[in-house]
Amino acid sequence: MNLTAPYLRTNRTTRSVMLDVCIALLPALAGGTYFFGLRALWLTLFSAAVCVLAEFLFQKLTRRAVTVGDCSALVTGMLIALNLPATTPFWAVGVAGVFSIVVVKQMFGGIGSNFANPALMGRLLLMVVWPATVMQNPLPRTLPQDAVSSATVLNAAKAGTEGGYTFWQMLIGEIPGALGETSKILLLIGFAYLCFRKVVNVEATAVYIASVLALTFVFGPEGLFTGHILMNLLGGGLILGGCFMLTDYVFVSRRGKLFCALIAGVITAGIRIFGIYPEGVCLGILTANCLAGLISMLEHRHVYGKTEKA
Amino acid sequence: MQKLFSSRFPGGVHPTNGSDKALTSGKAIRAFHPQKVWISMEQTPGGKCSPLIRQGDAVKRGQPIGKPETFTASVVHAGISGKVESIREGQAGSIYCAILADAEQPARMNQASMGVADLSAYTKDQIVNAFREGGLAGMGGAGFPAAVKYSPKKPVDTLLINAAECEPYLSCDNQLMIEQPMAVLNGVRIMLKASGAERALICLEDNKPEAAASLQKVLEQLKESVSLEILPTRYPQGGERQLIQAVTGREVPAGGLPADAGVIVSNVGTAKAAADLLLDDEPLTSRVVTITGEVNDPGNYLAPVGSSIQELIAAAGGVKSPQNRVILGGPMTGNCIAVDYDGKTELGFVTKTTSGVVVLPPAKRAESPCIRCGGCVKVCPAGLQPWKIDFAQRREDDALCEKLDAAECIACGCCSYTCPAGRELSLHTRMARDRVKQILRERKVQK
Repeated sequence: MNLTAPYLRTNRTTRSVMLDVCIALLPALAGGTYFFGLRALWLTLFSAAVCVLAEFLFQKLTRRAVTVGDCSALVTGMLIALNLPATTPFWAVGVAGVFSIVVVKQMFGGIGSNFANPALMGRLLLMVVWPATVMQNPLPRTLPQDAVSSATVLNAAKAGTEGGYTFWQMLIGEIPGALGETSKILLLIGFAYLCFRKVVNVEATAVYIASVLALTFVFGPEGLFTGHILMNLLGGGLILGGCFMLTDYVFVSRRGKLFCALIAGVITAGIRIFGIYPEGVCLGILTANCLAGLISMLEHRHVYGKTEKA
Repeated sequence: MQKLFSSRFPGGVHPTNGSDKALTSGKAIRAFHPQKVWISMEQTPGGKCSPLIRQGDAVKRGQPIGKPETFTASVVHAGISGKVESIREGQAGSIYCAILADAEQPARMNQASMGVADLSAYTKDQIVNAFREGGLAGMGGAGFPAAVKYSPKKPVDTLLINAAECEPYLSCDNQLMIEQPMAVLNGVRIMLKASGAERALICLEDNKPEAAASLQKVLEQLKESVSLEILPTRYPQGGERQLIQAVTGREVPAGGLPADAGVIVSNVGTAKAAADLLLDDEPLTSRVVTITGEVNDPGNYLAPVGSSIQELIAAAGGVKSPQNRVILGGPMTGNCIAVDYDGKTELGFVTKTTSGVVVLPPAKRAESPCIRCGGCVKVCPAGLQPWKIDFAQRREDDALCEKLDAAECIACGCCSYTCPAGRELSLHTRMARDRVKQILRERKVQK
């Protein structure tokens, strides 16, 4: 019972925010299940279960208040799986889940106190320690399984060759990639729902995606202004990252958020252009996460009635 | 386009959908005639008066009964004619004068509503003097003496009449403008003359079209520069500082008064009281109080100062459900004076600043950890970071609170309202504000 003003409070709770994110991820999960088979669904459910259980057990063992009811671990679990190819072994997903929740989230103080997006940190762990588990991108089951190599569209974009997929295929998700990142239309439907519910706003996402596209276009594989905009936009995890990972609540002020989005965009594009990986979304967003605290310290805020110091 | 950009303040929230105010809309103000009143000698916190009457005295309505002892106090008058039953100490050490009503109460004149009054006979000093003797105080919330407010140390060019009534549920100002537009405008003219400003703007939110139309009809008869300013509905539009920013684009300097921005802000209810005072010779002895929320017959009551809140709730049909919270003032900034109120106990008495009593259903909301969503930063009209001040205050880190400008908190409650984690951001920021202000004062004294 709250007995201090204000006596009216919003209906929104941490739990409702997290459930909204889960709902927004469902279309992309359905797309992933359609293109990569039922294993995609099982992998996601497994990942979510591992995360929720890891949080519950950690909090029980360390005698903290159990907060799994806020559903944030569920979101992390779903995001980990959606960022991995459908062929990832279950044990690897389990390791990523436990690492994300226990090391990245709980050891830094639990919800809100983590310095970076736990799901992306989980993916980063797999990328670094067991690269083979996450670098193999299977072909969608709707395509003839004759191609031995499963180079992604981004590999082609980086090399400056043809991707081999039509615009429509890239848009609906009939391309190799992580199980949740390929279905662009379904991702955008989910993101539109989040915007409609005012859980996130579109600004940071727009800055991020626009900066990546602009930089990869300008510094293309065959000299200035030769980059392939559509392949960069639709070929990898840019939309999943921009809509669901970048917008994760780590930064606070509006301007700080936009600046972080720009940094994330520059680093993502830098990796896509110069790095050894074809994809840079994960590292770009994580770097921006880590800089968020610094950026918010440097930022000037106008307080009502205070004159600016010269 | 100019208008679009100028009439804004940053942040703010929309706490309700409008159904709250609809509870009392279209209902005329009803007169409340208590058998007995208990008039506090401390009408605002810190505004102490000493009683001028003794037990057994016969008093007439409008007779001064309390003499100001402090700078922020104004003269207190008898709210009804009757006999002084007792003078006793009430809660928190303040003194109450209990007056038993006579069967016959003197009739009120109503010159204030009888057309555009001729004000040429009054000088600025005469008006300010009348404000002082009539005990006129800000009826919007702070209860600051009007005589002090209208003797600004700096010249002002704009008088803002605050009719935003942005607090959910309250409708006393709205109803007053609908029913007594002429008296309100005569009061505004008196205030304009007293302030020495060039223009007066009556500021309403766009959820009060009826009040705006009612005033507009009368406005056309005036020669003075008085106009309506319709603002988009958003809480806390009626916060003094936010209103100044929204209408004039100016900011009141930190630690300063509105006059430092060339503005005086008065509540529309105070304007009506000024008209009663000057034109009808009625000091501030009664006000309109909204009794609403979970009561059986919500409405607005014209109640003498000192009316019992218990009796007013009973007059409004009593509480609907035994599970409730009784809020004195608006639900965003008021005080919870009872939980699960059953109508059987005394709850306190109407003062010059009692704008309403709102009965709300119980709310269960536990605090959970901050999720860094940034919502509080987005809605803070003062440009603060409540989540950071909240953490600093809980750690009692006074230096950090000061660095985060906690002293500039206006206690509007937007941060707590919007927090999905249910954190008591406003409470802790208010505590930080009081602490930092105290530190700043102590530092000043040392110098």
